[in-house]
Amino acid sequence: MNQKDAGLDITIFFCQRFDKDQDTNRRALEKELGSKIKFFPLPCSGRIEPLHLMRALETGADKVYLLACQEGACRYLEGSIRARKRLAYTQGLIEEIGLEGERLELINVTPENHMTIDELARELLAREATVSLSPIKAVISNEY
Amino acid sequence: MKYESRLKKVLAAGHFAVTAECGPPKGAEPAVIRRKGRILKGFVDSVNVTDNQTGVVRLSSLAACALLKKEGLDPVFQMVTRDRNRIALQSDILGASALGIRNILCLSGDHQSFGNQAQAKGVFDIDSIQLIQTVRQMRDEGKVLGGEPLSEPPHLFIGAAANPFADPFAYRVIRLGKKVAAGAEFIQTQCIYNLARFKEWMKRVRDRGIDEKVYILGGITPLKSARMAEYMSKQVAGMDVPEEIINRMKSVPADKQRQEGLKIAIETIEALRQIKGVHGVHIMAIEWEEAVPQLVGLAGLYPRPY
Amino acid sequence: MITGERKPLSEIKEMVAPFKKILVVGCGTCVAECASGGEKEVGLLASALRMDARMEGRKVDIKELTLDRQCVFEFIDQLTDLIDQYDAILSLGCGAGVQAVAEIFPEAVILPALNTTFIGETKEAGLWIENCRACGDCKLGVFAAVCPITRCAKGLFNGPCGGSKDGKCEADANTPCAWQLIIDRLDKRGQLDLLQKIYPPADWSRQQGKGPRKIHREDQEI
Repeated sequence: MNQKDAGLDITIFFCQRFDKDQDTNRRALEKELGSKIKFFPLPCSGRIEPLHLMRALETGADKVYLLACQEGACRYLEGSIRARKRLAYTQGLIEEIGLEGERLELINVTPENHMTIDELARELLAREATVSLSPIKAVISNEY
Repeated sequence: MKYESRLKKVLAAGHFAVTAECGPPKGAEPAVIRRKGRILKGFVDSVNVTDNQTGVVRLSSLAACALLKKEGLDPVFQMVTRDRNRIALQSDILGASALGIRNILCLSGDHQSFGNQAQAKGVFDIDSIQLIQTVRQMRDEGKVLGGEPLSEPPHLFIGAAANPFADPFAYRVIRLGKKVAAGAEFIQTQCIYNLARFKEWMKRVRDRGIDEKVYILGGITPLKSARMAEYMSKQVAGMDVPEEIINRMKSVPADKQRQEGLKIAIETIEALRQIKGVHGVHIMAIEWEEAVPQLVGLAGLYPRPY
Repeated sequence: MITGERKPLSEIKEMVAPFKKILVVGCGTCVAECASGGEKEVGLLASALRMDARMEGRKVDIKELTLDRQCVFEFIDQLTDLIDQYDAILSLGCGAGVQAVAEIFPEAVILPALNTTFIGETKEAGLWIENCRACGDCKLGVFAAVCPITRCAKGLFNGPCGGSKDGKCEADANTPCAWQLIIDRLDKRGQLDLLQKIYPPADWSRQQGKGPRKIHREDQEI
């Protein structure tokens, strides 16, 4: 089953350099999916902090994507490399508490595709769901 | 003083000295020490007993020295600064003398991380050069560190180690000079396989006149196999085994390698006897004490003078 | 700076297990610089602990606070009005911070989340190295500004041991031999003769003292 049909809550952190109109382009999708999808544009993927990824999971994301430029194609040279290392570090943190590392995933976007952010997001939503609903979210819905 | 150091006597009389090494067992049995002592007795002037070498717990050097002394050998008490602070070191120095031990070799010791007690706290309250100085002060001035007088000074012939093969090479002779200035009377070197480098080191030693102030005994370890040569070359800190030695060991079949190792050792001893300033050899036949009488005989160093 | 590393989560979990209301307290000074106990790390640990409790069906209340400095009363005082609301304080300060907080709040449970590691420098982003043991008797002037107590595995005062090879330490082939560094530096200055002098045994009483050491200055009193 694809991620959308599986009802996963998806959070996408992304380098806004992919899509200069990202602000407009993602609106339709946000409207359509409501709280099932959240976008967080970053000036560069290297600005991601482990804490952002943790908070996303803590507040109910089932799957968190970090969209970065290809290594070597980052405008700020090392942003994509930093993004990869920070995501890996955060995977270590969540694995410590027994959460699957694959709930966090780095996608290096190929610029030649010229895809808009909503196109990219739809492609991700159409991917096969490899994780189930987050055990953390299950508790949140019980509590509140 | 009831006993004298045999090593000192041999060296002072101008003989080419022969010392060997005895590694104590990883257990409390005195028989192992006695057996090793009996193998060596008569073939060497003195026997070094290692002090928890490579940081592995073994029967104490002091106790093993006392056992060898009883067997009629002249032990060299090896003492590392890794495991004891200055209180314990000075106490054991007095104890060694009281037990009739007349030689001490002052070392800093292999780092504790190498052994079977890697979680141990490395003491290193003082270093090997400071230990030499401490023994010298205790013996010659009759004072412990800090100046308090001893009721009876320890009677010890004081030795130190030198590694001509460690880096930085230029500093190695300065360091030897420091050990001699601190009060070392004899030096036992790291195993010599790289004769060219050893000769260069000795030349620098002579240039500084250090050979006139101290007895230098060249280290010899007969190789048991080509594998041992490779292991020592790659795995043992501070060891220099040139490729040609490894190849020479490899060039003979496995069952002949011990013999080849002995041959190399004999050739090295012969070469050392020709070097001005070398006063003897220190044979470290690791877990192969039986090789020592053979080596000493074949090298023409038997019988021993005393 | 004083450096630290976060303890394994399993060890932290075991410590905090008996408590329901926990305040995770960071320190904005040394341990923030070495990315182990600052505001970000407080957030990460608190978040991990909250998620962990949820996954195990435990109800806990975990809050966060980072003090500018956890070893000085003026800053610790921020906790005074809060501390009664919590069962335990989980400190991401160094050992000095943990104890300073504990001393001010004698009734409170203060637990360490860091292993305080060493005094060191930030060598490059993400790399910290130890270079001072606070021996109380600095002789860097003699040793060409390379501390042999800290940077030689055996703390030797009189030159490299026989294990120095190709500029590396026998105990760790990735660590430069401190004595090689000292010799190189002195050589460049033409001061190798300094090494001929025998350096006497150190006065460790300046480091170990009679228990904890103290610096007391009347001119600094209020």
